[in-house]
Amino acid sequence: MAAQEIKATERFNWPVTILLLLGLFTVLFPLYMTVIIAFKQPSEMTNDVIGLLSFPQTWSLDNFREAMRVTDFWRSLFNSFLITAVTVIFSVIIHSLMGYAVARNMNRSKFYRFSYFYIVSGMFVPFAILMMPLVKQTAQLRIDNMFGVIVLYVVFFMPMNVLLYAGYLKNIPIALEEAAHVDGASTWTTYWKIIFPLMWPMHATVAVLTALGTWNDVMTPLVIMSGSGVNTLPLAQLNFQTQFGTNYNLAFASYLLALLPMLIFYLVAQKQIINGVINGAVK
Amino acid sequence: MAGLSLQHIWKKYPNGYEAVKDFNLEIADKEFIIFVGPSGCGKSTTLRMIAGLEDISSGTLKIGDRVVNDVESKDRDIAMVFQNYALYPHMTVYDNMAFALMLKKTPKAEIDKAVREAARILELEKVLDRRPSQLSGGQRQRVAMGRAIVRNPQVFLMDEPLSNLDAKLRVQMRAEIAKLHDRLGATIIYVTHDQTEAMTLGTRIVVMKDGIVQQVDSPTNLYNKPNNIFVAGFIGSPQMNFIDAKFDGSTLEAGGVKFELPEEKAAVLRDKGYSGKDVIMGVRPENVYDAKAEALCKLTAPFDAKITVFELLGSEVQLYFDFAGASMSAKVGQNSRAAVGDTMSFAFDVDKIHVFDKDTEQAVIH
Repeated sequence: MAAQEIKATERFNWPVTILLLLGLFTVLFPLYMTVIIAFKQPSEMTNDVIGLLSFPQTWSLDNFREAMRVTDFWRSLFNSFLITAVTVIFSVIIHSLMGYAVARNMNRSKFYRFSYFYIVSGMFVPFAILMMPLVKQTAQLRIDNMFGVIVLYVVFFMPMNVLLYAGYLKNIPIALEEAAHVDGASTWTTYWKIIFPLMWPMHATVAVLTALGTWNDVMTPLVIMSGSGVNTLPLAQLNFQTQFGTNYNLAFASYLLALLPMLIFYLVAQKQIINGVINGAVK
Repeated sequence: MAGLSLQHIWKKYPNGYEAVKDFNLEIADKEFIIFVGPSGCGKSTTLRMIAGLEDISSGTLKIGDRVVNDVESKDRDIAMVFQNYALYPHMTVYDNMAFALMLKKTPKAEIDKAVREAARILELEKVLDRRPSQLSGGQRQRVAMGRAIVRNPQVFLMDEPLSNLDAKLRVQMRAEIAKLHDRLGATIIYVTHDQTEAMTLGTRIVVMKDGIVQQVDSPTNLYNKPNNIFVAGFIGSPQMNFIDAKFDGSTLEAGGVKFELPEEKAAVLRDKGYSGKDVIMGVRPENVYDAKAEALCKLTAPFDAKITVFELLGSEVQLYFDFAGASMSAKVGQNSRAAVGDTMSFAFDVDKIHVFDKDTEQAVIH
């Protein structure tokens, strides 16, 4: 009897469970609100709590159709997708190379050590400080367009990504590279054939973080591409906020639509974020 | 296959630390050379310099007739087996073994033939499509060997390849490596800190300490004629017994006992001016006998000692005791009835006494 009681208390760590439930609630409740508001008509929006939490009278997709029309959904989606995809590809390639160069030389070269801290310190510079000069420079260089935005994203995400890659490389035994060198591989071949494939979990992490940051960003395209007539999804969604108020039903429907591609990407990528890939490399 | 020549090789690190000091060695074709020594003696560093993974600070390294000091690892035509195997975890066993040949752009059919032949020799045929993480320690070790074999290099370098295996597997793989050497007729340089591996595998052994070569010799000579106290103590288990003694012109006196020496050995000591001087006497545990049991060799005068430790190893018994201020050991037959606390009478084999200079620690007579 006593043993069973101990077992029962061991199974439930109540403080942690309560914390987790609270965490779950803070995520699920806004999501619930977003979904039901996206399906409601503006006339159903009330100020009382019951009305706010209740289901819509009909589950109609009209809001979604209207939101897609207003935001020129497919075109904006394509722009967002293009910017995100190119940024992620360049980030993974360039930042992993940088991380590799820095991580493997940091211990023997002051130059690389300085480079590492210099790059990583970029994380502490807020975008607001850079905004005005960047607007001016991109305009002068005539890259106040999608290309410019991509270049900026690759630079903005560099500090965090280099930090992540450099950290991860510490887990990859140097003996593997030595073995590859003895096997006849150049540094370049070693990187692409041995190191790059071994960094898949980190590529997935970097890709998810970079893609999320890029996909959801409003400020950079807003200030750089304004007037170019090219919209990304978050930019198009600004249309819902007018001088006279916000159409929450359309806005939330649009947000849900914008969320889906990222959700799918995350689900695909998270399978890659598994540990133990280098198991068996060295004893 | 080819020989190697290491001439005045030094390794100095930027912080001034000298890991290898004036290493000289000529290695003949098809030799099995063992670098042995305690941790930090520079044996792995020397191997890594041969592999091209460490720069040579000064000196000349030749593989065959070619000076390779500034040649990259990949162009030295060597293969290396790493201590931790360093298998590519994202590749199958087949790809791990084929990797070097693929880089050389060897035709696929040839690669396939080489890999399958190596797999056959190492009994890896059934695991060719597995990843390293799905293999046992012994199999991983064999894949690491296979990766070296398929390349058919001039020189094989092995850096403590068996140190991660359990005792039983290690003995098995040791025999495999010996067979492999016979079969491939390869030049092998093998680093280990395990003296059993060194003694059983090597055609010649290089004993190192603090970056300095202590002795280069065949296993038999190394055991029977060690150059100095370090080599004498390092090779052999339990290690050689060392006793402070005084040479009086014909005998060695220690702990109040006079141990006689063969006349020709005593003459050598006299000629070298050791009469009346303190020396260090060395006797291997198997040359320490129960003075009361029958011995086939000529024994010295007996001395009594109290047994402090009794170890039964199955085929033999190791006894530990204190004598003349030194802790000593003796290997005696399994029938020994000695017990801890007993006082026993011991004697040395007269012909197997080594004498070392007390100051230089160099051997004077073997």
